[in-house]
Amino acid sequence: MTATTTAVSRLSTPYWQRTRWQTWLLIAILIGGGVLMLYPFAWLVLSAFKLPADIIRIPPTLWPETWSIEAFQVVLSHKIGGGSLARSYLNSIFVTVTTVIAVLITSTLGGYCFARLRFPLREPLFYFVLSTTMVPFLTLLIPLYVVMDRLELLNTLWVLIVPSVFSSFGIFLCRQFVYGIPIELYDAAKIDGAGDFTIYTRIIVGMMKPVISVLAIFSFRATFNDYLWPLVTITDGGNYTLPLALRGIGNSFGWFDYSKVMASSLLTLIPPLIVFFIFQRNLVKGIALTGIKG
Amino acid sequence: MAVTAGSSPTGAAPVRPQRSWFSQYSWLGMGFAFTLSVFYLVMFVVPFGTAIWLSFHNWDYIQRPVFVNTRNFAKLLGDAGFWDALWTTIQFSVVEIFVALSLALLLALALSHLRPVYQYTLLAIYNLPVIMPGVVSVLLWSWLYRTNGGAFNAVLESLGLPSQPFSNSPDQALWCITLMVVWIFLGNSSIVLLAAINEVPDSLLEAAQLDGASAWKRFTAVTLPLIQPAMAYQVVTSIIGTMQMFEPFQLMPGPGHSTRTLSLYTYQLGFEVLNLGYGAAVSIAMFVILLSATLFELQRRRRSWDY
Repeated sequence: MTATTTAVSRLSTPYWQRTRWQTWLLIAILIGGGVLMLYPFAWLVLSAFKLPADIIRIPPTLWPETWSIEAFQVVLSHKIGGGSLARSYLNSIFVTVTTVIAVLITSTLGGYCFARLRFPLREPLFYFVLSTTMVPFLTLLIPLYVVMDRLELLNTLWVLIVPSVFSSFGIFLCRQFVYGIPIELYDAAKIDGAGDFTIYTRIIVGMMKPVISVLAIFSFRATFNDYLWPLVTITDGGNYTLPLALRGIGNSFGWFDYSKVMASSLLTLIPPLIVFFIFQRNLVKGIALTGIKG
Repeated sequence: MAVTAGSSPTGAAPVRPQRSWFSQYSWLGMGFAFTLSVFYLVMFVVPFGTAIWLSFHNWDYIQRPVFVNTRNFAKLLGDAGFWDALWTTIQFSVVEIFVALSLALLLALALSHLRPVYQYTLLAIYNLPVIMPGVVSVLLWSWLYRTNGGAFNAVLESLGLPSQPFSNSPDQALWCITLMVVWIFLGNSSIVLLAAINEVPDSLLEAAQLDGASAWKRFTAVTLPLIQPAMAYQVVTSIIGTMQMFEPFQLMPGPGHSTRTLSLYTYQLGFEVLNLGYGAAVSIAMFVILLSATLFELQRRRRSWDY
């Protein structure tokens, strides 16, 4: 496939001018599908505002009879094994922000180094980094736990950050992207006397904005949503991230108290939703730009 | 910064007069390569080596590991738990990928006919579940799947259909999880396919139409071959993703071992039964299976890439 960098969508009208009703039919079907997609989500949002009497109704009703924020008040003061939902919120945000920033720096720098700079073993090292993506995380899970135990990082927030500081996928993505930046730009800056690092900060990073937002979303999602690794390494409730805290809340409130579980789920969704609505457009464009085409 | 001192020719630059062997290298590049090597040594090489080493030992995390040669792998071949887990994983993976990819392709095709502003808006809706933490999806869906008073059974009843046990039934539990996972990843898969479909040149489709090709023929003969790389990418990432999926199987398990996959089995051996050596052997088997599946899929699709 050609490495064009056109926008995702056709700018000109399609060659087969569709009739108006065909387009509307298509939109209607797609909206119907969208409603199906949103149906479970609607239960989440609306049930968070229900009173216990509403939750246990049989047959269940989607719309709350009386709107109440009781569930939010209960979960916010609920203790989860030495921590709380608010504490987990801070933990999650700290871990996610630190990891995303680290991944963005190492990936853009790595992409630049592997694509433009000379150093010994450049190609073997790159293909080694790429090949690590073939090993499933579950194969590394047990020994990585042992390594973290030896480094005495278990049960701290750092254990969630340190193993993710470099991203093989991120380095690969950025290297492909830097190859697309005209080499003349690099050479011109070089002739003007700019050092490698100045070229990186002044020219390369600025041109990588599309790939940076894609990487930011991927990295945010992977870190914020991660469950297995925190489950294994974090036992102290004070260091729980949100997925672990949610599991704890799911265990302590049963089917009859499910508004509490839905309320805490809804609170958890706020940061991803904000990130998602800021970056959604960039994500779609970025995927076309970064050439994830196999 | 001191690291800017190096003067490195670019990779594509013509051969220049050699100064010293060393000065052709970039300090920044070497510094980065060194840091990266140390990181991958500690976070990848050592753990991966340990996993292989551990699979030839028995260890309970407390006493010293005991060398048992290939006994763990011999045990694995005769372990019904392993084969059940493998079969469950394959069933889940194949069905999920087939259903999700078909739906994503339909969705992407439909979206490609719309104006960009509609594309983005609709994609945002279909993409919403992707951003939710897996734990949230599982907590939500397990509640909706509830046998008594669950929302899905209420829908079935209102349509006059008999209510279902869903996650409580060994026959349905795996497919309940599969449906949820399709729901989660549908939008994500269609983004990649939509990007590929949008890059299919209009001129080719127009030419095909002028030659009298039907809409179906245009799809199978023009669009589908041209988006093969995107499809391959999607299939490979889905294989990797589904084989390693963990949350739903741990948090929304069916009765008995009906939804125990390889990932959950590895976790249980390592962190619940504390049979770390055997757990490592299972995880190595999982690595081999995943690698073979990925290479097989890439090889199979590569033939149609040349255009």
